[in-house]
This record gives sequence, structure tokens and C-alpha cells, in this order.
Amino acid sequence: MAAPDELFCWEGDWGLPSVNTDCLVVLAYAQFAGAPLKLHKISNPWRSPSGSLPALRTNQKETISRPSDIIIHLRKQKYNADYDLSAKEGADSLAFISLMEEKLMPALIYAFWVEPKNYVEVTRRWYAEHMPFPLNFFLPGRMQSRQLEKLRLLRGDESLEAGDELEKELYREAVECMNLLSQRLGSHKFFFGDSPSSLDAYVFGHLAPILKSKLPNGKLQQHLKSLDNLNNFCTNILLLYFPRDGRETTNQKPSTQSEGADFDNVPNKRKKQFLSALVALGAMLSYALLTGMVSIQHVHQEALEEPPDLQDLESHHHEDEGDD
Amino acid sequence: MFVLVIHILNVLHCCVFVCLFLTVTAAEPWPENATLYQPLKEDQILLSDCASSLAVQAYLRMCGLPVQVVCRVNAEYMSPSGKIPFIHVGNQVVSELGPIVQFTKAKGHSLSEALDDVQRAEMKAYMELVNNMLLTAELYIQWCDDATATEISRPRYSSPYSWPLSSILAYQKQWEVRRKMNAIGWGGKTLEQVYEDVSQCCQALSQRLGTQPYFFNKHPTELDALVFGHLFTILTTRLTSAELAERIKSYSNLLSFCRRIEQTYFEDKRLIQSSCSL
Repeated sequence: MAAPDELFCWEGDWGLPSVNTDCLVVLAYAQFAGAPLKLHKISNPWRSPSGSLPALRTNQKETISRPSDIIIHLRKQKYNADYDLSAKEGADSLAFISLMEEKLMPALIYAFWVEPKNYVEVTRRWYAEHMPFPLNFFLPGRMQSRQLEKLRLLRGDESLEAGDELEKELYREAVECMNLLSQRLGSHKFFFGDSPSSLDAYVFGHLAPILKSKLPNGKLQQHLKSLDNLNNFCTNILLLYFPRDGRETTNQKPSTQSEGADFDNVPNKRKKQFLSALVALGAMLSYALLTGMVSIQHVHQEALEEPPDLQDLESHHHEDEGDD
Repeated sequence: MFVLVIHILNVLHCCVFVCLFLTVTAAEPWPENATLYQPLKEDQILLSDCASSLAVQAYLRMCGLPVQVVCRVNAEYMSPSGKIPFIHVGNQVVSELGPIVQFTKAKGHSLSEALDDVQRAEMKAYMELVNNMLLTAELYIQWCDDATATEISRPRYSSPYSWPLSSILAYQKQWEVRRKMNAIGWGGKTLEQVYEDVSQCCQALSQRLGTQPYFFNKHPTELDALVFGHLFTILTTRLTSAELAERIKSYSNLLSFCRRIEQTYFEDKRLIQSSCSL
């Protein structure tokens, strides 16, 4: 068989396989469908083939970024978690995925990227700590402005700012969405029957970050914790499909993931060493050039060439004076 | 310059108008003089706005609440959320179907009362499906397909204004919609992919409807109003290409569903047929 497709995802934390909703959706779907992907968990979006995460590089070297397109691609490769769904269940999946995109996604963006305290204390800190050296200074800020822009366009309000009124409205919609999901799930283990489908992947991807992150303003988390069935649903998926990440991340991630991690860490280290050496060398050289070398060379050359001229001039002057 | 000033005055005027009426009061009975505002039917309104407006009209008719439709050039700027349509009832102004449903519910009119929790969850989910896929596809075709934008959307959108304001407003709108498409990941889609999404959405709706008269059996809900608004508008609107309507026509149960609602709720008024022809 051909080489497996490669999946690039954000690193995990807080007991999650990845911190990003889209990455979680793709990871969960791949696990549900049993797709053999070569996983690269990275914390540098510039190392992804598409420049954003998640990204799937197929064995034909195509790159796919949108989670829904990745799922369609996997489905075409016969890794289909929705195979047992009836047409009506497929329609329901589509509807509930839309519901989350319209109602839950804006609140997620708000909670992680716009709410000032959450952003400064958790989101920005996490990304700044995990990104490699020069990127960590400007990428988190740029990601934030992009997310804010997205929220503004979604709401159709150009001057949208963080504030109580906006928070209340977004969270009200999100809470309603979570309640609807909870009602739809009922006491089942998964949304459709005994095995998980793409809808379960989407629900997991959207709810797990709310459940597991430790945001200072955790109103969404509080509400989610009160919905026992959704709570168990997320914990169950973490236990069953991501047993390694489910345990807190104190112990190193073994096997396939650590391969990816090692593979990524070493060049990162080298790059860092190389960069710092380069910066140091540059500083030294410029210092040397500015203070010593240039002026010495100039003085040296002038010292060799000018004195005769001066003497000549002086002698000419003397001659002139003499003539006078 | 003069035109610009007039326009700004217009917007300001309407903001004041809206703010005055936004004060929330306790539930009062539905008045006779409720009005629904939308852009000019004949030569201004666009497919997506027409669909949203028709959905609200269908919903109010299903509730048995009378409303008078008024066309205004600056309806978009009069609306509190900047979206079409909005209704003016008593001393309150509410825009878009979702809030209008909430509003009528507060007045004691609801179509989804009889549903159980799971059904209500499904109804809300399917409504978001329509908003997320059909409405977005309509916006995409209107503003991101160059042929449609040049021939239909920009001229119609800017028809009430004289040059240069007309061009400024039309391009500003187009620019805004395109940025939104990029933000939600639709920017890279081709027209064919968008049609494919519409098909997928209709397939889902068709599956859900099955052979029932309405989505939740005997009685219509706000979901029926929303689906009817969008499908009927797409079917009766002439665009540069008939592809969008063709995609819907392959689902016969959706077609008869549209016909059923039209006959049941719009029989008295023939004007709907001609109302939204672009």
C-alpha cells in the first residue's frame, strides 16, 4: 500500500490530543474511522504544508485544510465512520453540525480569543510558550486579530468589541446549543447507535476544549459541567480513543506520536541554536565593524596615502610662499 | 458629495427612528397595524433578502398574525441589526426570523409548542442548516460569482442611488460579503462546489421531510416557514444561470412542499408570484 497520508495538527494539552477544535474534529474522526494517518503534532503553523492547522497531506502530495474536506477525503479512502447511518441520520448529522457552527463556534471564538482575561492568561500564554522563538512574539497576536475579524464578519458588526452585552448574547446562544445537543444525545452513548460517527467527532471537537481548558472566565464550562450526558460523552471518547492524552500530560507521549514529536523537536532545537548563533555572530561582527575595523582600515589607508599629499601641499605652499 | 450627505442623513434618521421604538414593553396583543419592512420588490431586493423576507411572512401567516408589507429603499439601514426583514409592531422593532419567533412567542403565538425536546432540538438544528448552507450559498452566488454580481446584484443593490454613491455602496457590500466568505472558509470554493453544497442541503431536507406534509407531521413550524422562504424564492427567481433552481427541482417532495404552503397560506394573494422576480 502507498505511504499513509500525513496529518498536521496543533499539539495537545489540558489532557486533550490537540487544543484546537478543528484539529480535534479531524483527529477524532480519524480515530473513529480507523484511518492510518502519520501524525505530526506541531506548534508551528508555518511548518504545515498549507500554512494553517489542521492540514492533511495526501500521498499524492495534495494538501487539504478544511475539516469537512479532510473528512470527505478520508471517506473516499474507505475510512468511513458514517457507513452505518441511514439517510435521515446523515441529514440530522449535517443539521447538527450546522447548528454548532452557527451557535457554538462564535462563543468558542469569544471565550478563547476575545474575552480579554481568558486570552491573556490562557490562550496567548499557551501559544506563546509552545511556538518556536521568533514566531511566538507576533503569531498569537495575529491569530487573535484574525479570530476577532472572523467573529465580526460572522456577526455582521464591524465595530464589535469584547463586552458584557456581546458575551451574554453569545453565551446564551451557546448554552441553548449545548442544551439542544444534550437533549438530542439523551442517555445514548453516541449520537447514532453504538458506534461514533462524524457528528460525534464534531461535537467532541467543539465541547472538549470548553470542558478541559482552565479559563479564568469559565461560564461555558460551568454550564457544560451541569449537563452530565455531554460531560460523560466527552470523557468517554477521550478514554476510549485517546487513552494516552487522557492521562494528564506529565508522562511523555509514547509510540507514533512521540515519533512525530521527536521528528519535529530536533530540527526545532537545531534551528533555535542556529538562529541564536547567527544573531550572536551578527552582533559581534557589527560591533567590531562599527567600532574598530572600518575606521582602522580607513585611517590606515589614509595614513598611507594622505601624508605625502599633505607634505606635497605643504611644500607647494612653501614654494608658493617662497615665490611670493 | 450632496448625495452622500443625503444618504448619511437618511441613515441617521432611521437610527433615531429605530432607537425610539426599541424600548421593550410587556406582552400586548398583536396590533392590526403591524408592518414588515423590506427593500423595493421590483428593482432592488436581492435573492437572499427576498428569501428571508418571505420566510418571515410565511411564519406570520402560519401564526395567523396580520402584517402589512412595506417596501423602503433604505430598509437595510432602518433595521436594528442591519438585516432584512424587520417588523414594526406596536412600539417595538424586531429583525430576522429567529428574534421574530422569540417575539411572537412572548406574545403567546408559537408554532413549536407541541414538539417534544428532541424534536425541538432537531428543528433548531435544521433551521441552522438552512442558514448555514442555503443562505450562505445564496450570498456566495449573489456576490462572489462575477457574472451574477455584475449583471444582477450590484445594479439592483444600488438602483435607488445615483452615481457615485451607487458604486461605492455596491462594492462596499460585495467586499464585505467576500471577506465573510473568506473568514468562514468559503472563499476558496468554486461555483460548482457551492451548487454541490446546495444539493447536499436539499438532500438532507428532502430526507427529513420524507412523505410528511410538514417537517414535523401535520402542523407547520418555523422550520417550514424558513425552508419555504428560501426554496420558493430560489425557484421563482431568475438568475444568470438556472442551475440553482435546477438543483432543487430534483427533489419532488420539496417542490410539492412549496406548492402546499403557497396554496395554504398565500392563496388569497397572487402577488407573491410576481413579487420576487429579479
